[in-house]
Amino acid sequence: MIILIVVYILILVLNVPGLIKRKEWRELTAFSVLYVIAFTLGLLYVLDVPIPSPMKGLQHLIADVLGIKYPKH
Amino acid sequence: MSIEKGKICNLQLLFLITGFVQSSVLLIDFTVVITEHQTWMVILAGLAIAIPFILSYVALAKRFHGMNLIQINDAVFGRFLGKVISVYYIFFLMMTLSFNILDVGELYATFLMPDTPFIILLIFFTATCAYAVYKGLEVLARVSHLFVVVGVIVIVSTFLLLIDQMDFSNFLPLFELPFIRIFHGIHIMLSIPFGETIAFLMIMGYINKTEHMVKNTLIGLFIGTASLLIAAVRNTAVLGNTEAIWTSPSFQSTRLIDIGTVLTRMDFLIGIAQTILIFFKCSILFYALVVAVSQLFGLKSYLPLVLPLAGIEVIIAATVFQSPVDHAAITQDAGIIYSVPLMFVIPPLSLLIAKIRALPKAERGKGV
Repeated sequence: MIILIVVYILILVLNVPGLIKRKEWRELTAFSVLYVIAFTLGLLYVLDVPIPSPMKGLQHLIADVLGIKYPKH
Repeated sequence: MSIEKGKICNLQLLFLITGFVQSSVLLIDFTVVITEHQTWMVILAGLAIAIPFILSYVALAKRFHGMNLIQINDAVFGRFLGKVISVYYIFFLMMTLSFNILDVGELYATFLMPDTPFIILLIFFTATCAYAVYKGLEVLARVSHLFVVVGVIVIVSTFLLLIDQMDFSNFLPLFELPFIRIFHGIHIMLSIPFGETIAFLMIMGYINKTEHMVKNTLIGLFIGTASLLIAAVRNTAVLGNTEAIWTSPSFQSTRLIDIGTVLTRMDFLIGIAQTILIFFKCSILFYALVVAVSQLFGLKSYLPLVLPLAGIEVIIAATVFQSPVDHAAITQDAGIIYSVPLMFVIPPLSLLIAKIRALPKAERGKGV
């Protein structure tokens, strides 16, 4: 948990001052959105909270709902 | 507006494509369990079917020179539908990158460093790729020939060192498997090494001259495929029917190298080559992903997004599959089916629409 927080503070320090200095607000917004997503996912992983797999959802949609799948060999 | 300021030459494109295809050597294992000793046929058939589609990618890149895939989608399908299709491509790039990061993690956790925590392997590998992406496309392109040379040397040398243990009767009977298995194998080959070259539509726009793009793309594809073919023939000729039961036939076959009890345990060569080649492929995919996301948000630079996206990719790679068995099962099914429209429908359709609407001249005329 501590390592995660240190790494994410480091990412913040590396990126944000430059973006503010150059007044790149659009870049800062995009960075912030992805930063929050990345930190949240990292936190969930560290806390052992199950993260839903997008591929499991796709597998369910394609194979079970749409019925598109290869036969078991 | 272009996010990438650098330019690459045609020869660098050739090496980029060769290295990209070559790096899928370990991924032919997904096909081996289905097509067994006929894997070599599936690789050749996959290449033959993939060529027209890959040529459609090149034709798109030439027609929309200086534009990347996200810009092409906007120009061809309009702002709304174009953005929807671009999000689909970004999802594909995110998933493909996480699968490849996971491949390296599984390779190290299973064969090379089993005592190291899995997440640490993923973090360090992704951080290395992020560093390469930070340095830009030009730097990656300038060193691309080194990656290809390492790959070719390892594949050819392990083939030569195993010649005395090869039994070419392992390839018989030639047409034994049912058609559905061959079809499934071809689909995997089409999607994994060849179809994934769709990521090059994020790169091809930055080539300085478009004259020899078709020739260099094809040469790159042929050299990359030759590497896959040599590895497949080596594994089948050495391991025979047991090929399908090993976690990694490439590792298992090279472990059998024994030259006068001096040259043994040569599987470390496969470990080194695979790490280098998958690093190369992941860097290209990561570059394509980060530029695609930046283009979608309309940013001037992709650099601020590299580290947050690296963080997201590590967690996706660590959690997307529960086990290597789960990884193989989903990749062989939904993993190759969901990407069919992205690889084999949208690019030719874009080309057709561009021809009918006389794009991109009409778009440029409107100042888009």
